[in-house]
Amino acid sequence: MPSNNVQTIRDHLLNMLQQPEDMVFKENHSKEKYMEALYIKSICDEAILHDNILKPFFEITGPEEFLNFLQSNPKVSEYEDEQKALEELLRGVAILFYQDFVFLFDCKMDRNNAVMDTTVETTIQGPQAGFSESLPVNLGLIRQRYPSTALMVESSTVGNLSKTRVMILHDTRFTDPDTLKRIKKFLANVDIDMFQSGEQLFDSLRKSNKALFPLMLVTERPDRVAVNLSMGKVILLIHGSSFAVILPTVMKDLMASMEDIYQAYWITKFLKVLRYTAFNVSLILPGLYVAVTSYNPEIFRIQLALSIAGSRTAIPYPSYIEVVLMLFMVELLTEASIRLPKAVGPTATTVGGLILGQAAAEAGLVSNIMIVIVSFVAISNFVVPINAFSFTIRVLKYFVLLISSLFGLVGVVLGFFLVLAYMVKLDSFGEPFLTLVQSKPGENSNK
Amino acid sequence: MKSLSNWRLVVIILSSIILLNGCGFKDIDKRFFVVSIGVDLAKNSSKKYLVSLKFAIPKASRDSPTEFEIVSEKADSISEAVRIIKTKVDKEVDFSHAKVIVVGEEVVKEKGNAGIYYWFTRRRDIQAIAWVAIGKPTALEVLKVKPKSEFIPSNALFLSLGKDGSETPYVISEFLFDFKYRLIERGIDPMLPIIEAKKDILEINKVGLFNKSYQKLALNPEETKIVSFLRKREEKSANKITKGKIVVVIDTHKVKTKYKIHTPKGKTPYIKVNVSLEGTLEEATRRVPNEKLSSYEKAAEKTLNKEIRNVLVKIQKANLDPIGFGLRYRSRHFNNDDWEEWKRIYPEIKFKVQTKMQIEDTGLIE
Repeated sequence: MPSNNVQTIRDHLLNMLQQPEDMVFKENHSKEKYMEALYIKSICDEAILHDNILKPFFEITGPEEFLNFLQSNPKVSEYEDEQKALEELLRGVAILFYQDFVFLFDCKMDRNNAVMDTTVETTIQGPQAGFSESLPVNLGLIRQRYPSTALMVESSTVGNLSKTRVMILHDTRFTDPDTLKRIKKFLANVDIDMFQSGEQLFDSLRKSNKALFPLMLVTERPDRVAVNLSMGKVILLIHGSSFAVILPTVMKDLMASMEDIYQAYWITKFLKVLRYTAFNVSLILPGLYVAVTSYNPEIFRIQLALSIAGSRTAIPYPSYIEVVLMLFMVELLTEASIRLPKAVGPTATTVGGLILGQAAAEAGLVSNIMIVIVSFVAISNFVVPINAFSFTIRVLKYFVLLISSLFGLVGVVLGFFLVLAYMVKLDSFGEPFLTLVQSKPGENSNK
Repeated sequence: MKSLSNWRLVVIILSSIILLNGCGFKDIDKRFFVVSIGVDLAKNSSKKYLVSLKFAIPKASRDSPTEFEIVSEKADSISEAVRIIKTKVDKEVDFSHAKVIVVGEEVVKEKGNAGIYYWFTRRRDIQAIAWVAIGKPTALEVLKVKPKSEFIPSNALFLSLGKDGSETPYVISEFLFDFKYRLIERGIDPMLPIIEAKKDILEINKVGLFNKSYQKLALNPEETKIVSFLRKREEKSANKITKGKIVVVIDTHKVKTKYKIHTPKGKTPYIKVNVSLEGTLEEATRRVPNEKLSSYEKAAEKTLNKEIRNVLVKIQKANLDPIGFGLRYRSRHFNNDDWEEWKRIYPEIKFKVQTKMQIEDTGLIE
C-alpha cells in the first residue's frame, strides 16, 4: 500500500484538478504490485503509456525490479513538488504513484508535427520545407541542418497564463554573450498573458510598446535559421508556432531573402540593389509625385509635364487628395486579398486592380499617371522580402506624403531624412538597425 | 504630463511651419506653361516693346497634337507686359518650361536694348538653360510657325537648338547663362543664332554677333560653319573643295581646333590657329582614285585656310570677339592693364591658320 505521504500528494492533486472529463485515474493491480496512474487522456499518448509502463508492469514480476525499471527509464523523472507536477500534468505527462514513490512519465502526444511548405518566404530554388508546429520536430529540423556541438539549447516559458515553452538556441562560438544576456533578460520580463507566436514580441521589444519597425525577424524557414545561427544570431522557437524568431535583427536581415545564397554572385548583387531601390521608391514616390506636380513641375521634361497636365485637366481635386484616394484603394485591395479565401483572392485583385483603376481614371477621379504611380508603389512594396518590413514601408510612405504635401520637394527630402534619423536611433538588442556591412560566418569564426 | 507638453510643442512647430511653405501649392493643371518668349519692338504705339508668350495647351488625349496660344502685349518693359498678360489668361503663368527666348531682329540691331536681356536671368523661374535666339523678321513670326512634325509647341525649336534633334554646324545655339556671361565678361562677345520664319519651316543657319549691347554683324551660313569649327561644338559638316575643274565635297566627322596667341617682342602679335579635320569624300564631279586623295587633302587645306582666315579677319574688322581670344589673352597675362593691352593688340593682330585635312577614303570600294 502506498504510504501516507504519497496518498496525500495524490489526494491533493486530484483535488486541484476538479475532475475534468478527460482526466484518467487508474489503479493497476498485479499479484505482487500495485500502481496508480494519473493523466489527461486528450494530451497523452496512451499507446506510449501502455507500451512503456503497463506492459512491463505485468511482465516484470518482482516489485523491486519494476522499481528499478522505472528509475532507469529515461522518460521517467522524479517528483519534485506539487506545482511542477501539476504543470507537467497539464502538458501531457502522466503521474505514476508506485510504492513510496511518485514518478512523472513523459508521454506527451505530439500533434501538429507535420512539416509544412513555406508559404510566406517563398524562393524559387533552395529548400521548400518550413517548420512544423511542434517544438521537438522544429528543434530536430534545426539540428539536422546545424549539426554542431556548439549549438546550445535552453528552455524557458513566456506568458502569464499560457506558460508557453520557448527554446533559446544559439551557437556558443559565435554569439555575443552580451546580446544573449539582453535577450534572456528581455524574455524574462515579457508581460503577455497568452503567448501564441513569436510575432507577439514585436511590441514588447520597444519600451513604449509602439513599434513601427520590426526589430526581430520571424521566419518559417529552417535554412534561414541555420544560416543565422552560423552568423551568431539567437533563435527562439515557440511551442505551437511554425515560425522561429531570429534576434537581433537589423535592416540588412530584413532586406535579405534566402534566395540570395542560392543565386550567383552578380545576380544576388543585382537583386539587392533592386530591393533597396524598391524600398526607396515605395517610400518616397507618392510624396515625390505631389511635390513635383504641385510645387516644382520644372523638374519634368516639358513633354512629360504637358502630358501630366493634360491627364490631370479633368481632375477636380488637388494632387494630394488624388494620391491619398488611390493609395487608400490599393491598401484596401491588398488587405482584402490577404483576408479572402485563396479561391476568391485573385478575383478581388483583378476586379479591384483592373476595373476600379480603369473606371476611376475614366470617371475623372484620378489621372492615368497616378494609376501608374500607385501600382508602381504597390509592386515595389511587395519586392521587400520580409513581410513585416513591407508593412512598415506601407505605413511610412504616408508620413513622407504628408510632409511633402506641405513642403514640396524640400518635404520629400525632409521626410526621408526623418525616417532615416528614426532608423539610426533604433537598435535591436544592442546592434544598430542600420548595420549594413554584411556579417559572414567566416568573419566571426576568425575572431 | 511631460509627453503631453512635448506633443503640444510638436503641433505648434508643425503648424507654424505650414505657414512658411514658400512658393506654394499649385497643381500642374492650374499652371499655364510658357514654352517660348518673344520680344519685338512695338509698332504704331507709344509703348516700346511687344512681348509675346507662347503657351502650351495640354490635351487630355494623346491622339491630337498639343495646341498653343500666343498672347501678346505692348508695354515699356517686359515685366509690365507679363503682368498684363497674366490678367488675360485663366491659369497661373509658369515660366519654368520657357526654354526658348526669341528676340526680334529690330530689337537686337538697335542700341540701348541690352537691359531687357537681364530680365530673363533675374527671373528665378526662367531656367538658365533656356536658349536665346534672334527672330527674323520678328520674334512673333517665329513663335507663330508651326512645323508639321511638331507634336508639342516649340518642340521643333528645342530640338534644333539643342543637340537632341538635328546636328549641324550651321546652328550655333546659345544658352541664357552663357549669353549673360558673354554680355558681361571682357574678352568674349555674345553671339546668337538667327531663326528665320519661313511659313511652316524654321531656318536656323546664320549667327548674329554682338558687341556688349547690340548686333553688329551677321554671318552667312558658311561663315557660321567656320565659327562653329572654331568653337569645337559640332563635328559633322560638309566642305566643298574645288581643285582645278573638279569639285569634291568632304564630309567631316572629326574637327579639332587649337589656337595660341603669340606676342613676340618687337614684332606683330599673331594668333596661330590649328584646325585638324577628318572625313570622307562624299561627292565628286569626277572619279577620284585612292592614290590621289592626298592631293585633294592639300587642296582642301588650302581652301579652308583661306576661308577660316577670312572669317577671323571679318570678325576682327568689326572689333568683335565671339571666340574669346581676349579672354584667352587675359587668362595668360597677369599684368593689371591686360585688358587695355588686348584692346590695343587685337585690331592689328595677324591670324596664321594651319589646317590639316585627312580624307580617310573615297567612300567607295574600288
